[in-house]
Amino acid sequence: MDAAPQRSPVLEIRAIGKRYGATVALHDVSFELAPGEVCGLLGENGAGKSTLVKALSGVITPDTGEMRLAAAPYHPHDINDARRQGVATAFQELSLVVTLSVALNLFLPRPTITRARLVPVRRLEQEAERILRAHGVTDIDPARPVGDLPLGQRQRVEIVRAMHRNPRLLLLDEPTAALADREWLFALVQQAVARGGSVLYISHKLDEIRRLCRRCVILRNGRKVLDSVVAAMRDEDIFRSMAGRSAVEQFAPAPSAIRAQAAPALRAERLAGDGVEEISFTLASGEILGVAGLEGHGQSALFKSLVGLHPLRGGRIEIDGRPRGMRSPRAARAAGVVLVPEERKTEGIFKDLATAANISLPVIERASPLHLLHRRRERTMVARILPAVDLATRYLPRNIAALSGGNQQKAVLARALIAQSRCLLLFDPTRGVDVGAKQSIYRMMRGFVGDGGAILFYSTELDELVHLCDRCIVLYRNRMIGEVAGAALSQEHILSLAAGHAPRRTGGPEQAAG
Amino acid sequence: MSERVRWPRSFRPATGPLVAVVLYVAMYLIYGLHASSAFSLFGLTNLLDNTVVLAIAAAGLTIVVLAGELDLSGIGVIAIANATVATTSTGSLGWGGSLVLVLAIGAAVGLVNGWLVAELRLQSLAATIGTMIACEGVALMILSAPGGEVADVIANGLTGDIGTSLPVAALIIAGIVLLWLLFARSRTGIAIYAVGADEGAARLSGLDVRRTRLAAFVLAGIAYGLAGYMLSAETGSGDPRASDSFLLFMYASVAIGGTSLSGGRGGVFGSIVGAGLLTVMQKMLFALGAAEFYTNVFSGIIMLLAVFIGTFSAAIARRPLRRAG
Repeated sequence: MDAAPQRSPVLEIRAIGKRYGATVALHDVSFELAPGEVCGLLGENGAGKSTLVKALSGVITPDTGEMRLAAAPYHPHDINDARRQGVATAFQELSLVVTLSVALNLFLPRPTITRARLVPVRRLEQEAERILRAHGVTDIDPARPVGDLPLGQRQRVEIVRAMHRNPRLLLLDEPTAALADREWLFALVQQAVARGGSVLYISHKLDEIRRLCRRCVILRNGRKVLDSVVAAMRDEDIFRSMAGRSAVEQFAPAPSAIRAQAAPALRAERLAGDGVEEISFTLASGEILGVAGLEGHGQSALFKSLVGLHPLRGGRIEIDGRPRGMRSPRAARAAGVVLVPEERKTEGIFKDLATAANISLPVIERASPLHLLHRRRERTMVARILPAVDLATRYLPRNIAALSGGNQQKAVLARALIAQSRCLLLFDPTRGVDVGAKQSIYRMMRGFVGDGGAILFYSTELDELVHLCDRCIVLYRNRMIGEVAGAALSQEHILSLAAGHAPRRTGGPEQAAG
Repeated sequence: MSERVRWPRSFRPATGPLVAVVLYVAMYLIYGLHASSAFSLFGLTNLLDNTVVLAIAAAGLTIVVLAGELDLSGIGVIAIANATVATTSTGSLGWGGSLVLVLAIGAAVGLVNGWLVAELRLQSLAATIGTMIACEGVALMILSAPGGEVADVIANGLTGDIGTSLPVAALIIAGIVLLWLLFARSRTGIAIYAVGADEGAARLSGLDVRRTRLAAFVLAGIAYGLAGYMLSAETGSGDPRASDSFLLFMYASVAIGGTSLSGGRGGVFGSIVGAGLLTVMQKMLFALGAAEFYTNVFSGIIMLLAVFIGTFSAAIARRPLRRAG
């Protein structure tokens, strides 16, 4: 194929396959990667991307097929073996140990030791600082435990950890899922390529693939369906290859569903607390109000404080025009406000429960006459809510941990919907979910506000905010730096505000109409 | 960019042990006011002698707990070690041979535990209940009733003072703390913290989870063996059931010391302070003339208090970090 340069490939994959019981995760997948090439790997969740990444990074062994690295057979028996042979991975689920410092994490598993066989912590911190700086990261203290960092910073540490050993093959699995500053990553990828490394770039985001990759491979249901030069493909072709559906740009705009005459569904007045500085906004019935901000600018604290998960020093929260104390998520739920949290894996799902049980939890009493669970009644109640989130009934009896990220998120949303809540707080609900699930989530949001509900919506993907929201407030250093609406609701405008540039008074009134 | 602040490193003891130190001093003062010998060298030596067995056993347990597992086999190993020392130390093995023997026994039991948990993936609580019961049986096989004799070198040499001023027990405790400080900065020590905090992340970071768990159990076993040796020195004879009451106090020491029972956070230093605290509390209550059952009530209350304060102060300590983020 003319796409491959003349030099011999860094990586050759020949007909590899992997099964988990009855599920075929990969089937007969073959492709090559040239030196200095950035190749995109696309596919919906469950398409086999993660399995491929795991096989390449030595976490799992493929059942069939052959892999060759620089013309030599490549069978990594564990992740260290892969790393020794020059393959490093930044994992989607982040592989950092949260109780250890950034510095120690960078140098795991074998930090240097002194002659006394001790790990010189200070020296490692200095070394880590140097490495971080060399990768353009200056705002992370290497002595801090990773657990104290916001998600976006953790992702940068994860990426730097994979990159700083100059691997000849770098695997980036959804590297921008929590990143606000994508340019930082793009520059690093270009540097890695300039040094002769190759990159396999796994992403759901087409603009990133177009920006970085000359070629892309698309997987669907564990098979390769396309291997082509990106420039030769239209967006629609790529989306159709992945799923036959398209993302938010293709999502038809709908007229606003705002019901201005009703009392505002949610009104926050001068909220103040740790990480929340004097934030006020009004959310009308039928409105989708966006929240934008670079990572760590208070959005997480704001969302949590609205349901009592984060203490507030002052301020007032009104629901339907009446002041309510939001002391706990339970109290918030009673007031009709539900948070869909940031970390699906740890805050969103109950790992060992069936999908149905995950969804029915808020209304379980209604299915439990005499306090004994009535399975059929539970199923009926859950089944009624499924169409709203496009979740297939067959997933219900399965353990939710076995579902793809997109289907897990749909289940989490179904749980939020099932108690007939009036106001949803969605914190980056489309992170790490596939294109199809995104579409379902967008449709759910539209339907919800169409029925008179209200949504407060934070997203790391600005195009989602622009396409879905009626208005958007922008946070900067834990404060509301501006609000954009109407014609001013553009990615560029939001970005400039989020980066701390003074608000322009072009879009909408500065203070929300209350 | 942002101002650089030195945050406490993860394996430095949290605020929990600090509270314990304050409590320790307070109870020691009360004890001293009611028992005049408490402030004398003799009183101090006696207190430390009583502390050292629990301290070493709790230190061993801490390592397993940090690795995210539980271990009940400690009292079984202590029982075997005590019975072994009481039957061999006066014979040809002598004090040195019996020390090596009990450390080897501890390591062997730890190896079995580690194999069951890390290799066969049994739940550590269940697996170590098994080894604990088996070990207690072995101890009874070695010494079926209280008796035996511990060599004088051990009984006299490891208790009392060096010269006229330095309690041996203080030296031993200091040695354990020093060993711990070094170990916490070794690769294995860091790996134990990582595996206990997040097994999956540790594995993806390239750590050998299996071997790390194994190492934790073996080190703990060695510590239990040493604790049994010290128990023999203190009692001067063998009793296969002498350690029966230790188990809950070992866990109490670990918890009071601020180590999270779910793994990954805490340290041995805190557990040693916890052991000291429980011991001085018993002394205080004894000096006050309180009936024995009060000891248990107080142990429980102190443990709850320490765990509560530890959790509470950890939450406070974390808050400014969030703000800086």
